Amino acid sequence: MRRRFLEALGVATALSAVVLLLTFAREPVRAQTTQPATPAPEKAGPAPTLPWGVPDLQGIWTRDSDEPLQRPAKYADKATFTDEERAALDRQISEIVGREATEGRRQRGTEQDVGGAYNSAVFTSHLRTGRRTSMIIDPPDGKIPAVTPEEKKRRADMLEFALALMQATDECEKHLPACNGGKYGPPSPRRNEVAPAYVMNAVVGGGGGAINRSDGPEDRGHGERCMAAALPDFGGFRRIVQSRDQVSILYDVGQGQGWIRAIPITNSPHPPKGVHMWWGDSRARWDGKTLVVDVTNFSEKSNYQGAHQNLHLIEKWERVDSETLRYTVTIEDPTVWTKPWTVTHDMKKQSDADNRIYPEPRCHEGNYGMVGLLAGAREADRKYAAGKGPNPATLCLGACGGFAGGFADDGADANPLR
Amino acid sequence: MRSPAGVAIRAVIAAAAIAAAVGCDALKPNEMGPGTTARSTRTMDGKPDFSGVWQANNEANWDLQAHSARAGMVTQAGVYPYEYARVAAAPVVALGAAAGVPASIGVVEGDGEIPYKPEAAALKKENGEHWIDRDPELKCYLPGTPRAMYMPYPFQITQGTNQIQMAFAFSNASRVIHFGKVERPPDLTYMGHSVGRWEGDTLVVDVTEFNGKNWFDRAGNFHSDALHVVERYTLQTPDVIRYEATIEDPNVFTKAWKISMPLYRRMEPNMPLLEYRCIEYAEEFMYGGLRKQQLVKHWEGETMIVDITRKVPPGDKLYEWYRR
Repeated sequence: MRRRFLEALGVATALSAVVLLLTFAREPVRAQTTQPATPAPEKAGPAPTLPWGVPDLQGIWTRDSDEPLQRPAKYADKATFTDEERAALDRQISEIVGREATEGRRQRGTEQDVGGAYNSAVFTSHLRTGRRTSMIIDPPDGKIPAVTPEEKKRRADMLEFALALMQATDECEKHLPACNGGKYGPPSPRRNEVAPAYVMNAVVGGGGGAINRSDGPEDRGHGERCMAAALPDFGGFRRIVQSRDQVSILYDVGQGQGWIRAIPITNSPHPPKGVHMWWGDSRARWDGKTLVVDVTNFSEKSNYQGAHQNLHLIEKWERVDSETLRYTVTIEDPTVWTKPWTVTHDMKKQSDADNRIYPEPRCHEGNYGMVGLLAGAREADRKYAAGKGPNPATLCLGACGGFAGGFADDGADANPLR
Repeated sequence: MRSPAGVAIRAVIAAAAIAAAVGCDALKPNEMGPGTTARSTRTMDGKPDFSGVWQANNEANWDLQAHSARAGMVTQAGVYPYEYARVAAAPVVALGAAAGVPASIGVVEGDGEIPYKPEAAALKKENGEHWIDRDPELKCYLPGTPRAMYMPYPFQITQGTNQIQMAFAFSNASRVIHFGKVERPPDLTYMGHSVGRWEGDTLVVDVTEFNGKNWFDRAGNFHSDALHVVERYTLQTPDVIRYEATIEDPNVFTKAWKISMPLYRRMEPNMPLLEYRCIEYAEEFMYGGLRKQQLVKHWEGETMIVDITRKVPPGDKLYEWYRR
């Protein structure tokens, strides 16, 4: 019975595992090919300019190395890795994600086993470890600044709700990482409540904003609804096309959750405050050789690390040399963080002719997972009501821990850069 | 809607003269947003410049072919049993005159007919009768090419030095037009694989690699994965593109046919491309029947049964309103 139910949920649950990577952990998801199609030449030339005198930002761009967004605690006192450390980390990561999950690593037929459906053979290829221990350059400790007391409260409320929905599951009974901070108990009456936020962000037990309930699509979070793409983004591929007064950026990110952005180069103001958009309103200007983009007018539904409609970004795009594009973004939201913070990373030029970018966001067009997941949940409701199945409150519906993304939740097989 | 060739030629000559007079160096891009008319109509390499925010202003998305106005997006037989006397049906009846369909002189060139094979013509008719269930637009799916070009939403063209990228408000769809040698996409696509070339001042775009899942309009006009579209973009004035698309699909049509229409620049100063990220708007329509607590109370399996119960608030009854 339970096993069949798990099979029905397989697709959606596996999807949520990847969404966990995409939005929750904010690590770049390299679902597509990860190697640059054409290796960069040994020596980069000078940054090219366009006929009207501004830097040429055009082309397909992607990162060629992996650096964590935040500096892991164990590297707190160092900003860069040595070459030896990078080589060792590459070996370690490759061993962990390359090792086939066996009975010894995770028990077949368990909810944790489902997370391992996204194993190294499918989705967890990794770039080489980069030079820096964090992409965050400000604050200097490489960490996201402390959140405001109000945001702390919001996160605590979300976590409490998410854990209440988990409390009758095996994960809580066995004190597994998916239930960290929670306790085991009978099904919570809170299962009948509306979630405390539209975007259930950054909660244990609910990867990608999904909570442990499938009463309707909203419960499944932005990722499973194919709406996870957010600004800023530090993974995937970009294609930039540039005219004198516009810049167009196609983002190939996540699994078919890419999107396109059209940026006017103008001194004209942002739209009225009442116009809210998922990816905000971008206005660019040239500051010397740097394209500076100011982004406001985000939506209540936008979600970057818990920031919604008050998010404000100042992006800087610089063509460093013929092979390198540098992206630097200052992120601020005084309702979420106690001070602004800044992230930077370089992207490497890819061949236009090879065209190794996947332009169509087809997640929604192929979202059979959502139908399967909701239909599976209704079937479980019916069976329980007929006395023929377990209480749905005892089931874990995604982000149940295990080997999601090829890494263990904790221990020796955890992601060493986390 | 179709300009005589002479007018188009004169417009191009005028545009060239303006470009020559202004000169690229005179441009101050930071002072000019999209939608501004005081701009060169040529790029610095002398090509017509299509950059900007554009939108069709016609009824092609309802039906490419000429049609009369209709009482509703969905209609049913009225009391009088004539085809022309159909009335709005339940899904839209509460919307009154806002739910009707505007008339059109059509955008199909020649005799205005779409040369369907007989079996395809039957499927087109059936599609139209099952519009709600079958039109990908209602599910917020990528609209395909050429439909994206004439949906009633703006789109932005960014003309780079070796590629042209388009961003569409509807469903955040996009296209890129390649020039020269480029690898094809790894799979068939909704929006097609576009390769452009210049024929004088006309941009000609060859679009292939379709997956066959799109429609041309809300009338059920459709194609297969053998679709081949050849588009022609010509600047008719600085603010109007003459857009033509020749459509071939040997699985569906007996011969090639062509649509043409003007695309207009959105002239509002400070006009950004505003999102219409509609996935969320289609969720109730697509998944509502699978909710634990249904919002529409009458789902029977995948069938949504819509009861129109519209309580008129006190003071808003028809005669009360009329007296105001």
